[in-house]
Amino acid sequence: MISINFTINGEKKQLDIPAGMTALELIRDRLELKGTKEGCGIGECGACTIMVDGRAVNACLMFAAQLDGREISTVESLDQAGQLHPIQEAFAKQHAVQCGFCTPGLLMSTRALLTEKSNPDRSEIVKAISGNLCRCTGYHSIIAAIEDAAKPQPKEGK
Amino acid sequence: MTAEYKIIGQNIPKIGLEKRLRGQPIFSADLELDNPLILRVLRSTHSHADIQRIDYENALRIRGVVGVFTAEDIPGKNLTGIINKDQPLLATGKVRSVGEPVALVAAETQAAAESALKAIEVTYETLPAVFHTAEAMAPGATKIHEKGNLLFSRKIKKGDVDKAFKQCAAIVEKTYQTTYIEHSYLEPDAGAGYVDHDGTLVIFASTQNPHYDHKELVGLLGLEDKQVRIIQAATGGGFGSKLDMNVQGFVGLALYHLKRPVRMVYSREEAYQATAKRHPLEMALKTGADRQGRLLAMSATITCDTGAYASYGIAVTSRAAVHATGPYEIETVAVESRCVYTNNPFCGAMRGFGTPQIALAHESQMDLLALELGLDPLEIRRINALKPGSQTGTGQELTASVGIGKCLDEIRPYFEQAKAEWQLEPIGPYKKRGVGIGCMWYGIGNTGVQNPSTARITMDRDGNVTLFTGCADIGQGSTTVLAQIVAEVLGLTPDSIRLFVADTKCTTNAGATSASRQTYISGNAVKGAAEQLADVLLTEAVNKLNAPKTSLQLDSGFVRVLDNPDKKIEFSWLARRIREKGLPLTWNGFFDPDTVPLDPETGQGVPYATYAFACQLAMLSVDTLTGEVKVEKIVAAHDVGKAIHPENVKGQICGGVAMGMGFALMEAFVPGQTLSFKDYLIPTCADMPEVVPIIV
Repeated sequence: MISINFTINGEKKQLDIPAGMTALELIRDRLELKGTKEGCGIGECGACTIMVDGRAVNACLMFAAQLDGREISTVESLDQAGQLHPIQEAFAKQHAVQCGFCTPGLLMSTRALLTEKSNPDRSEIVKAISGNLCRCTGYHSIIAAIEDAAKPQPKEGK
Repeated sequence: MTAEYKIIGQNIPKIGLEKRLRGQPIFSADLELDNPLILRVLRSTHSHADIQRIDYENALRIRGVVGVFTAEDIPGKNLTGIINKDQPLLATGKVRSVGEPVALVAAETQAAAESALKAIEVTYETLPAVFHTAEAMAPGATKIHEKGNLLFSRKIKKGDVDKAFKQCAAIVEKTYQTTYIEHSYLEPDAGAGYVDHDGTLVIFASTQNPHYDHKELVGLLGLEDKQVRIIQAATGGGFGSKLDMNVQGFVGLALYHLKRPVRMVYSREEAYQATAKRHPLEMALKTGADRQGRLLAMSATITCDTGAYASYGIAVTSRAAVHATGPYEIETVAVESRCVYTNNPFCGAMRGFGTPQIALAHESQMDLLALELGLDPLEIRRINALKPGSQTGTGQELTASVGIGKCLDEIRPYFEQAKAEWQLEPIGPYKKRGVGIGCMWYGIGNTGVQNPSTARITMDRDGNVTLFTGCADIGQGSTTVLAQIVAEVLGLTPDSIRLFVADTKCTTNAGATSASRQTYISGNAVKGAAEQLADVLLTEAVNKLNAPKTSLQLDSGFVRVLDNPDKKIEFSWLARRIREKGLPLTWNGFFDPDTVPLDPETGQGVPYATYAFACQLAMLSVDTLTGEVKVEKIVAAHDVGKAIHPENVKGQICGGVAMGMGFALMEAFVPGQTLSFKDYLIPTCADMPEVVPIIV
C-alpha cells in the first residue's frame, strides 16, 4: 500500500492504494466515478480519457500512484451546478452523441485541447481526438461540435 | 395523421442525451451490486476436439472460488441460436472452434477467478479441423455438426439465364472475397444480475434484443417466463453482435445455482475472441448486358463461412442472395447462396447481414460492364435502376418508395464535377486521384419471415401518456423516434411521454434492433397503439364538445375543435370519464410487414415490404509509389423513406460510411492473430474524409 494525495474534480483526497492499481481502477472502482469508461485497457480507444494537470491522458495506462500531488478532472467535473458545460452543449447541438460510451473520453480530450488552446483549427482538433475511437458517428458531428465549442461563447447566461 | 407534421421530421434532443453527456447512463459494467461474484469463462484452445474430461476439483479448492459449472449443470436445453439452435452455452462433448466456452467460474475476486481458470484441466482429443468452406464441403470432410457442414442454401431463379447470356453484348465474370470483420463497438460485452425477493432472476444486459434473451434464458434454465427478467442496460453500440447472447446465459446460470449477485465484464480481448464476426463471403458473379448497357442476366454463386455456429448465418446467406442483383432490374437471375460450417470463429449479424459484402461484388460488376461497353458508370446504373413498377430478382413488384434513381440523380452533379475538375488537378508526383460510385439497396426487416413488433400505451387518470416498448435503443436513437411518433399522433411533446423501454417485465416484444427494422416496424406498432388512444379520446370528446369527430384535433393535452380552438377539453377529464365507464386505458399496437416467404426452389416471393436505397460517391487519392489510399471525400445520398429525425439519420449515414471505409481499406480480423484494438484498426477521426450526407 502506498499513500497518495491528489485533487479530483476540485476535491482533495488522501488514499492508501495498492501499488499496482491503475488510475482507471482508482477512479471507477474506488471513487465510484463511473463516467470514465474502460473500452480496451491498453490505451488504444480513449474511452478512459481524463485530464491530469490540464492534459488529456488515458487513465488505463497510468498508475494511480502517479496521480500523487496532481489535479485530476473526469467527465463528472464538467457539470456546473446542474448546467451543462459549453462543450457538452456543443455536443448536444451537433448531435454528436450516439451510444455515449466514448463521449466522456471525447469530452475530456476536448476540454484539455481547449484549455491549452482556445481557438484550435480543424487539424489541431483532429490531432487532439485522434486517440478517441468512436464506432457510431463517423466523427463528423463530433468535429463539428468541437469547432462549435471553440467559437467565442457569449459570456452572459444561456 | 395529417400531411403536415409537427414533431416528425424535427431534430429534437435525443431522449437521455443530457445523461449521456454527463457520463451517467448505467452500462452493465457500471452497475453497483451488493458484493457481486465475478464470472469468467474457460475457453477452448482447440479448433475441433472431443472433450474427454473436465477436472475442476483443484479450481474449487482455490480460496474465493464459489463455483465451477460445465454443460452438465445446465438444467434446461443447452442449445442457443436465434434462427436455428446449434450453439451450446457451454461445450457438450466437443468443441468446434477456439474460444468456445467450456466451463464457467464464479469467484469472490477477479484474481480468484483467473486462478480458477488456470486450475481447470480439460483433456481434449483433437479432431481434424476445416478452415475453408471448400474443404468443409469436400466429400468425406470431417463433420462439424451431426447434420453435416452445409447449413443452408438459398436459390433464386427467375427466367432462363443461359438463354439470356447468349444475347448479351458484354459479359463480366469475376470472383470476389471479403474478410472477417469485428464489430468493435466501444463498450465491451458485459452483464450483471441478482435474484429478486420473489426468486426472479434479474439480468442486466448489453443487448439488441432483450425479449429474445429472455426466451433463451428460460429455455436454458428450464424456468417459467416470469422467473426471468431481462433489462437492457445502457448499450454501447452493437452493430449486430449484441443480437447473440454474449454474457446473459452465463449470468443466468450463475444466478440459478448461486442465488448471489454476479457480474461479468469481457475485456476487449475476450470480446474479440468470444463474439460473432462479419461473415467472409466468396462471391462468383456473372453479369451480362446488351449494347446499351441494359442488364439481361446475372448468375451468382455465394458461399458464406459461418464458422462453428450458425448465429444469423441463414439470414446473411438469404439476404446476400436476394440483394445480389443490386438495386437493378434484371430480366433473368440465377443465384445459389450457401452457408457452410467450418472450425473458424462463428459469424453472425453485422450491419447489413451480407449486403455490404455482396454490394462489393454487384457494384464492381457494374463498373466492369460500363468499362467494357464504353458507358459512364453512373449512366449504366441509372438505366438499370429499380423504379416503381420494377420487378426484383424474387419477382416482387415494387410499387412505391423506390428512391435509387433519385439517389443517383443527387450524386450526378458531384460525380460530374469530380471527374471534370477535381480528378484532374495536379497533386504532386506519384499521386493520382480517382472517383468512384457505388449503389446499394436494403430490405427492411427479416427476410421473408414474420417479424412483428408490439407496443403498449397507457393513459392515467391525469391524462399522462406512457409508452411501453421492448425496442432496445443501442445508441441509434429508436426511443427518441418512437416518442416522436406517439407525440405526433397525440398532439403532445416527446418529452411529456413517459417511457418504459426494453425490460421484459413490463414491455412486450418488439423484436430485434436489427435489419433497419425498428423505426419502420416498431414505429408502426407504436403508431397503431397511439391511434387507438387518439380515437378513444376523440370519441369521448364528441358529446362534451358537441362537435363531430372529424372537426376535432388533439393538441397539447386537449381535444380542441379545429375551427374554434378555445372550445376544448383536457385529456385528464376524458381519461377520468373513460375510467368511470369501466373502460380500459391501455392500448396495444401490433405491426408485421407484409411479406411472402421465398419459394425454397425458385426464391420467388416478397422478402420485404419495403426497401432503403443509396448511392455514394468516393473521391480518393492513391500514392502509386507506396500504394497508400487516402479517401478525400464521400457524398452519400440515401433514400430512407420519411426521415423522422433527420440528424439521427445523418448520424447513421456518417457512422456507416466510417464503418464501410474501415471494411474496404483498413480492417481485417485474422482468426488466431487479431487480439484487440492494437492489431485491429478501425477508422479514427484522422482517417475520415469529409462526408456529405444527403437524405433524398
